[in-house]
Amino acid sequence: MRKLTPYLLLAPALLFTLFVLVYPLVQNLINSLSDVSMITGNSGWIGLHNYQHVFEDTLFWRSFRNTAVYAVAGTLLALLIGLAFALLLNIKLGKFSSIMGCLYTVPWVISPVVAGFAWKWLLNDNFGIVNYWLSSVGIVPVGTSWLGHPGTALLSVMVARVWQFYPFAMVMFLAGIQSIPQEQYEAAAVDGATMVRRFFYITLPNLRAVGSVLLVLGVIWSFNDFNMVFVMTRGGPMNTSMVLPVLVREFSFVHFNLGRGSALSMVIFMLLTTLSFLYLKLVSRGEQA
Amino acid sequence: MRQKLLLTILLSLTLVTCGKRSDVVELHDWNFGGRARLIEFLRNRVYSFEAKNPGIKVIQSDKSWNMIREILYADFAAGAGPDVMNTHSNFAAEFGEAGHYYPINRFPDFETVKQWYVPHLMESTRYKDNYYGLPSSAIAFVLVCNRELFDREGIAPPKTWSQFREASKRLTKDTNGDGVIDQYGLVLMGGDKGGFAYRTIPFFFKAGADVMSEDLKTIMFNSPKGIAALKLFADMYQIDHSITPGFLAYGHSETNDLVSGNKAAMSIEGPWFRGMVSDKSPGKDVYVVAIPVPDDMIDQYTTAPTLQDMVMYSINAHSKHLNEAWELLKYLRNEEADMYWITQDLGATATTKKALASPEARNVKDIDLYINELNHARPWPPHPSMIAIASNVFTPYCQKAIVGELSPKAALDLAAKEAQDIIDEKK
Repeated sequence: MRKLTPYLLLAPALLFTLFVLVYPLVQNLINSLSDVSMITGNSGWIGLHNYQHVFEDTLFWRSFRNTAVYAVAGTLLALLIGLAFALLLNIKLGKFSSIMGCLYTVPWVISPVVAGFAWKWLLNDNFGIVNYWLSSVGIVPVGTSWLGHPGTALLSVMVARVWQFYPFAMVMFLAGIQSIPQEQYEAAAVDGATMVRRFFYITLPNLRAVGSVLLVLGVIWSFNDFNMVFVMTRGGPMNTSMVLPVLVREFSFVHFNLGRGSALSMVIFMLLTTLSFLYLKLVSRGEQA
Repeated sequence: MRQKLLLTILLSLTLVTCGKRSDVVELHDWNFGGRARLIEFLRNRVYSFEAKNPGIKVIQSDKSWNMIREILYADFAAGAGPDVMNTHSNFAAEFGEAGHYYPINRFPDFETVKQWYVPHLMESTRYKDNYYGLPSSAIAFVLVCNRELFDREGIAPPKTWSQFREASKRLTKDTNGDGVIDQYGLVLMGGDKGGFAYRTIPFFFKAGADVMSEDLKTIMFNSPKGIAALKLFADMYQIDHSITPGFLAYGHSETNDLVSGNKAAMSIEGPWFRGMVSDKSPGKDVYVVAIPVPDDMIDQYTTAPTLQDMVMYSINAHSKHLNEAWELLKYLRNEEADMYWITQDLGATATTKKALASPEARNVKDIDLYINELNHARPWPPHPSMIAIASNVFTPYCQKAIVGELSPKAALDLAAKEAQDIIDEKK
């Protein structure tokens, strides 16, 4: 009995994992290899036909490119802004720093759906405050349509995503900066290193581990981000801001082709699994260091 | 102690289960969309139904109008879903074909009930030989003109395409003299794929273009008449610049804001728009007129068809309580209930002969126009794939033509080919 106890204690967690993780994953894999439609039901095994359809679809490649740009460029930008704010907050200004720290983290705690709607209105071509400000100083013409123009829709959603993600990066970078031993800075100061040189030779190298983890995490989360794009553009106009998670919805719940939707989500799963392994490797390397 | 506690819980659960009334039939009624006052009316109507039918309990849920297909397909695929629901009448083909809607003509009193409704509206709920719902909320697509802007410019609402284009051009202007256009002739709802198709196809219909052949086997919207209708919008956008530049991002809300805020002079809408505008901007008035026709068809201005849309109430074919659901359906949509569409602005036109012929109907704004347009209007062809084609094929290609990525002919030819593939696959 004593030997069985650990397994019995583990059983609820294992069962839960089976139901919420393994079962959906296996079912999704089976669906991706079958002709499953919400309209006609399951018409049987079709091998890799769904995958072939996905890879032959020009919209998939456009969405893949958009997702990559959205995830990588958006995350890099968020990291840069996060680092800048972390450096600012690291300057001890008493209560002011604490208040600003709280204010800077506001975007992070707002639900992505709410943030999406807020940004949709901020960027409205006729009534949005962004256009009002930018056009009043002559940067853009009055009535610029950020979300309605094929050339700016994805960029606009990315800006909203950066706004949501930078506080997380800021908090992580701030923690990283505050854990750098002061002796390193003191020694550098004694040697006559300027602030810029101290930043590039002490701060940045010490933040490399945090930065790498943030980059991988940010890319994974952005790659998976459905809410912001769906709320702001639904992948439009004319699919110019279509990203992979929204395309999964298009395949599954607009065209009702669950097989194709499942195949695409398996492709995303494989991509994200690769990134997750990279993340775990970085974390373990950081721990060893 | 622990055993006693467990025993108490078990006993309580047993008592609760035993206490449930097994003689009461539970019906699930899903209400998709609707203005707040319509939802309130439906709630009260259901309470009144329950009072008159003590053996039936109705559980009501409000759902998103924009996600009807996703929600219903997900539920139907799982063998679930509500007993009663309201959807577009053109779902009769899609859900009727799939066996999800119950043919209500199988109920013995159907022929009597059918007589309540305007015949052609009742016909919109038919697919092949069966009827799949009771009509509610008829809609004819019309042109809504911002009265203030038209009066200020001293022009009348357009009747022909030339007048439409000219009016749109004249109403596109820089109103405050800063050198920037801040008022546009026409706003299109391009951010909503379905909404966009519903707003462009009336021009195709008015020109005499068909979406599909009579036998529902061939796509026909790429006919010369269809191409001419799409070219009208493309020219207005690319040459006249009289359509709002950001239209590809607009939904209902933005369209309403632009008309209410005097930034757009015209919009293609239905009976809900007058109320939406006055809710947003109290006191603001609009002209509601028929969709313009091609110049050489001016003699058919009042008879050429626009798009007819309609809501219908249907029964889930897998419902375990078909008779009770039918009783609820009739109660929600009988002549007495339909009078509410006359006495209140619910954003749609009544569908029963009695309500439309009532003296109170004379007080409904634009009622004669809507009745006339509905008399000639045509719904989308009753093909099971029509809704998917309209939203996912027709709309993106038309938008590409309007912004100039493709010529109207190339766009419609490509859309027709893609749509035909869907139709052939369905066959």
